[in-house]
Amino acid sequence: MSDEIRVGIVLVSHSAALAEGAAEVAGQISGGSVIIAAAGGTDDGGIGTSIARVRRAVQAAGTSAGVVILPDLGSSVLTVRALLAEEDFPGPVALADAPFVEGAVAATVTAAAGGDVKAVLQAAEEARHARKL
Amino acid sequence: MPGSSEAAITLTGDLHARPAGSLAVTAAKFQSAVELAVGASTADAKSVLAVMGLGATRGQQITVRAVGPDAGEAVTAMIGILAEATPVGG
Repeated sequence: MSDEIRVGIVLVSHSAALAEGAAEVAGQISGGSVIIAAAGGTDDGGIGTSIARVRRAVQAAGTSAGVVILPDLGSSVLTVRALLAEEDFPGPVALADAPFVEGAVAATVTAAAGGDVKAVLQAAEEARHARKL
Repeated sequence: MPGSSEAAITLTGDLHARPAGSLAVTAAKFQSAVELAVGASTADAKSVLAVMGLGATRGQQITVRAVGPDAGEAVTAMIGILAEATPVGG
């Protein structure tokens, strides 16, 4: 399955460091075969979200198989929704209602195994039920 | 040809996040249902969060069970990852 086109993952956070760190963890756990794009912080690098950064991340991670976007909190969701309302992307795009770190890891592992957008979205959203203790 | 298969291995290292990811990615490629059991806890091997949630540590015995058309291959693949990945950690 190594030559299959995999679903890409976009991590949207109020913090660039948080988005990049979660991307790094998810990439390590899933073996590095999935494109994970981090979109954290405002345009000037502060705490907040940027529609331009999210757009670039969706373009970077989007494949013909599609992309699943995970927002961290509150206005991350609003920023993603605003982008999706004003712009069409070539492949399927899904917005996940999921815990950020666990969802990113579960989504990326499912994408690495060749799951489609629906399967990757489901893996992310099921992460809210996973117990860590 | 549906079947079932089972094997066990004693962990030589803790079951960290990276081997858990490797187990889940590999398990998902099989048609069979694949389950990991440690003591009284079980996890769907295709769910990385469930595998990590087992909290399996060095010295514990982990049992791999698979049911489905490729059960034997699935168990062999899981045992191979568990044998190789756990001493390294991660």
